[in-house]
Parts: sequence; C-alpha cells; structure tokens
Amino acid sequence: MKYRPYLSFSDLALCNLQRRPFRTAGLVILVALMSFVLFGGSLITYSLFSGTDALAKRLGADILIVPQGYDNKVEGILLRGEPSTFYMSDEWLSKIAEVDGVRAVSPQLFVASLNADCCAMPIQLIGFEQSTDFVIEPWIKTVLPGSLADEEIVVGGAISGKVGDTLKFFDRDYRIAAKMEKTGTGFDASIFMNIAAAEMAAADYETAGGAYPPPEGSISSVVVMVEDGFTANEVTRQINSDFHYGKSGIVVVPAKTIINNVSGSLRVLVIFIAALAGLLWILAVLVLAVVFSVMLNERKREFGILRSLGATRRRVSSLIFIESGVISAAGGMAGIFLAALLIIPFRNYIRDLVEIPYIQASAAWFAAMAFGCLLISFAVGPLASLFSVKRMNKNDAYTVIREGGL
Amino acid sequence: MILEAREIRKEYKRGGTLLQAVDDVSLELTEGEFVCLVGRSGSGKSTLLNILAGLLSPTSGSVSFEGRNYTEMDDEALSLLRNTRLGYIMQGHSVLPNFTVLQNVILPHVLFKRGGEPAERAAELLEDVGIRHLSSQYPHELSGGELRRVAIARALLSAPSLLIADEPTGDLDDETTADIMDLFAGLAEKGTAVLMVTHDTEAASRSHRILTMKAGRIVKAGL
Repeated sequence: MKYRPYLSFSDLALCNLQRRPFRTAGLVILVALMSFVLFGGSLITYSLFSGTDALAKRLGADILIVPQGYDNKVEGILLRGEPSTFYMSDEWLSKIAEVDGVRAVSPQLFVASLNADCCAMPIQLIGFEQSTDFVIEPWIKTVLPGSLADEEIVVGGAISGKVGDTLKFFDRDYRIAAKMEKTGTGFDASIFMNIAAAEMAAADYETAGGAYPPPEGSISSVVVMVEDGFTANEVTRQINSDFHYGKSGIVVVPAKTIINNVSGSLRVLVIFIAALAGLLWILAVLVLAVVFSVMLNERKREFGILRSLGATRRRVSSLIFIESGVISAAGGMAGIFLAALLIIPFRNYIRDLVEIPYIQASAAWFAAMAFGCLLISFAVGPLASLFSVKRMNKNDAYTVIREGGL
Repeated sequence: MILEAREIRKEYKRGGTLLQAVDDVSLELTEGEFVCLVGRSGSGKSTLLNILAGLLSPTSGSVSFEGRNYTEMDDEALSLLRNTRLGYIMQGHSVLPNFTVLQNVILPHVLFKRGGEPAERAAELLEDVGIRHLSSQYPHELSGGELRRVAIARALLSAPSLLIADEPTGDLDDETTADIMDLFAGLAEKGTAVLMVTHDTEAASRSHRILTMKAGRIVKAGL
C-alpha cells in the first residue's frame, strides 16, 4: 500500500488486504467464480424463459399439421430457424377445415433458400395466405399495415438489410417491405412472403436445382385454430381418428407440445443451473469459512494486540467483516462483470448451443439481476467469517493473544 | 490511588488438573510509582499483569483502576480505559506487520475516534525511543530491539496514567535497556505509574519497589 501516515478505521482493513495480495486475490477469485455462475446462470435462464414466452405468444396457432416425419423439421423452423423444404397436398386444407372443433385453417409454404445475398447460410422462406392467416398476419400488421405484393417480403429481426433494400433468392429480387423486431425464435432468421410469392420461389427452387421440386398445389403445413369449447388435444384426437393416424401421411402437432418440449428442456436447464449455482454458493461459503477460520486463527495475535490497544470486540469484528465484505464485493463484481462480458457477446452461440429461443434480458432486468447477485455474493464473506468471529469473541483478549502464539 | 487489586486468583485447568496461576494476590499502585515484578518463568507474573491490564478476567478478586472496578465495566468501557488511560506493552512482538512504524504507533488513536492529531505526538515518542528515522519502514525491516521500541512508543501515545510492561527490555542491548529504563523512570517522575515484569536485575534496580512472585503468590516485597 502507498505509504499513508494517517489511517482511518476502514484503512486498517484495506491495508491488511493490500499487504497480502496473494491471499486476497485467492479469496476474490473464489467469490468471483461463485458470482460468475450465479449471475451467468440467472442471465441465461431469464433469457431462455423470455424466448419461450415470446415463442408461445408468436406461435398463434393451436395446432400445426405437417407431412408425416416432418414434425421435428417444423420445430426446427420455429425454434431455431433451421431451413427446410417439405410439401403435402393442399387438399388437406379443406379436409381439416371440416373436422369438428376446427374454427379456422390457413396454409403455409416453406422453402429453404439455396443462398441469398443477405446471408452466408440458406434461410427459411415462409409463404402465408394473407386473407386467411391468423398466425403471421396479426403480427406482421404491427410493422406493415397494407398487404404484401408478390415481390415484397418481411424479414425477421436477425436478417441483415433494411426496409427498401432488395434481397435476391433464386435469381429473383425481393424488396424488403418491413422488418420484424427480434423475438429470440426461429422467426428471426426467416423471411415472410405471400403464398403466391412463395409458390414462385418454390418453382424457382426447382429451376435452381433444389432437390425436391414441389408438385402443383402443394403446401407445407396447415395451421389450425380450434373452436371455443374445444381443446387442441381433443381436436388433435379427432383429426387422428378421422384420417387414420399413422396412415394418412400427415402428423398433427399441438402447438403446446412444441412449447412444452421447450419448457421441458428449459426446466432441466434451469434446475441444472440453479443446482450448480446453489452448490457453488454453499461450496464458496464452506471453503471461505474454512479459509477464514484458518486465516483468523493465524491472525489471532494481531486481533489480540488490537484488543490490548483498546479495540472493543465489536470493533475487531467490524474489521474482519469489512475485510471479508471487501473481498466478497470485489469477487462479486468481478464475477458479474466477467459473466456479462462472456454472455452478452456470445448470446447467439448460446442460443445455438441450447437450441431454445433466447431473448437477452432488458437493461432494467440486467441491472436488477446484477444487483441481486451482488447482494448474494456480498453476503458470502461475512457469513463465512461469522463463526470464527463469534468463537473468538467468547474469549478474553489475553486468551486470544495466547492462542495466536506468544 | 491508580490501581488496586484485591485477593486476585486465577485458576486454569491443564490436563484435568486445576492450576493456580495467581493465588490470592493483592497490590496497590500510586501515581508516579515505578514497580518491578520479578520471578521465575511460570510464577504467574504475566497472568497477573494481564489481569491488571483488564485483558484477562480473574477467577475471583477485584481490580479497580482510578476507583472503577473492572467487573462493573462492560467491554466498551474497559476498552476505552485501555485505549486512553492504560499503556500496555505485551511480551514478545506486538507490532502489526501490515502497517508502518508510524501507523503502528498511532493505532490506538485509530481504534477510538477522538480529537487531536496523533502524528506529531507519535513522531516525538519515536524520537524519544530513538527510531524516528524508521517512521515509514515496515516491521519486517526492523530488528527485534527496534520493534520493541515501536511497542513502547505506541503504549505511550495516549499519555497513560498507568504503564504496564511485560519484559519490555527482553530483546534490547544494555545501552538501549538503560535508555528505556531512563524513559520509564522519567515517566514515573512525571506522575505515570509503571508496573513492569523483568528478569533483568539491573533494570529492576531502577524501580521504587520490587515484588517477587513464586507459584502465583507475591512472596517478597521491597527493594
């Protein structure tokens, strides 16, 4: 520590920490590790919950119907924006509309681009019928009041390009009519167009050498809204019964199944993160308690000297708590800073890794979580030193000095 | 009367056996009195000294400082007394390693907030014990004798009315010992009561009164 002839009481604690840099750094790193996991885990968990919430709100349909074997593909499109091209006959639209409990149906056509000048990777084109759609249209209306022309598109929040720019798919130019806000779902990496434009893209797809050219009158999925008084599961059972489940060539996917799958994965992840953070917190308290116990034991003579010079028991305890509090606060802040530094820039990588919709927490939530984690981290040091302090305070000053060695 | 101890006893249990470290000791100290406590190791001198300094509770008996009984004082009051009225130099090294010499000397002032600027007084005391030039050094840079002198300067910072010292010249050469004894004698002349444990008969001869302890009792009093 820089030489300072005059000391305040808190300077005593700071001098002690600064004059023992390795000991101090070791303790700070331990708390930082705990705080890193706690804050990082909380941030990721919150972002995943936000993403799942957004998915549930954006999905809109109660049931999705896709060709048999493609239920995983539609989940990939919705959750992660993994492009797929698959088709079934548009006859299913009218067939499904007649099932008991079905209130509305609308078709969607999925075409995966081979390449695009917006993106390094193929992306998902989603065609929808504007006159009947109840899934994408209400949501697109928030950014585009009118209807989409055949060569106009609405791009997801993660697609580069701004309104008025053109994107080229299969050698055809499309003008960006609107851009969506980021949702954390697969829709961020998708492009929306009316179904006629998607049919053109599908035809171009064949010309451009796409592997599975679509037959005339094809769609990729039917989105279903159920009547009031019916549940999605009841209508699913009805469709399966009417069209002989397993033999019809279609698969019925209740939207909740997708959400539940996500929620299920999320629950496992949350439990894992919470358990890891809890375990590390307990471990940090225990390790720090042992370290503080050993350290305070070694420093008993020092505390006894302070008592002999007129420090009260409370004053000596304060000194120890200030030291452990400074260690905890420094470790807590370092861990939070490090977690933010790693998680914020790598959020896209994390989303790809966990395969769950992910929306970064807002600044207010971020600050609230950082503050909460800092408080928990801050409590570790004083809590860990409490036992040793109480034990030391039971004794006379002379006993403390003697125990510290003459 | 500065200090009055009545029928002090201190018992310890060691390996199931009850040990009488201090056995029925009474003594009085008046202002300006310089008293030496001598005796063999284990005779109870340090234990008695720590009881008189309020650092150790006796098993029975009472100690009064300037008319106030220790048993009637709480930790706050007893600590304040040690901080302002009673200088204590403990056996062995008692200088804190993380602070400079000057910072060590002003420590009592840091522990209890009060008016005044301690640095000037601390510098004077360091001058008195001959180590002012070491003010900004850390303890690991000092010799055993120099460390002892830091502890002496620190004990005198609050201008105590009683100075209790447990073998304060143990690490010092003859010349420095003589200087320190001069310092203590000078303090006594100015009215400070000094109670010192020593094995050094030469040093003890400078005192007004010598008390000899044996097996926890004062067996001889006089010069």
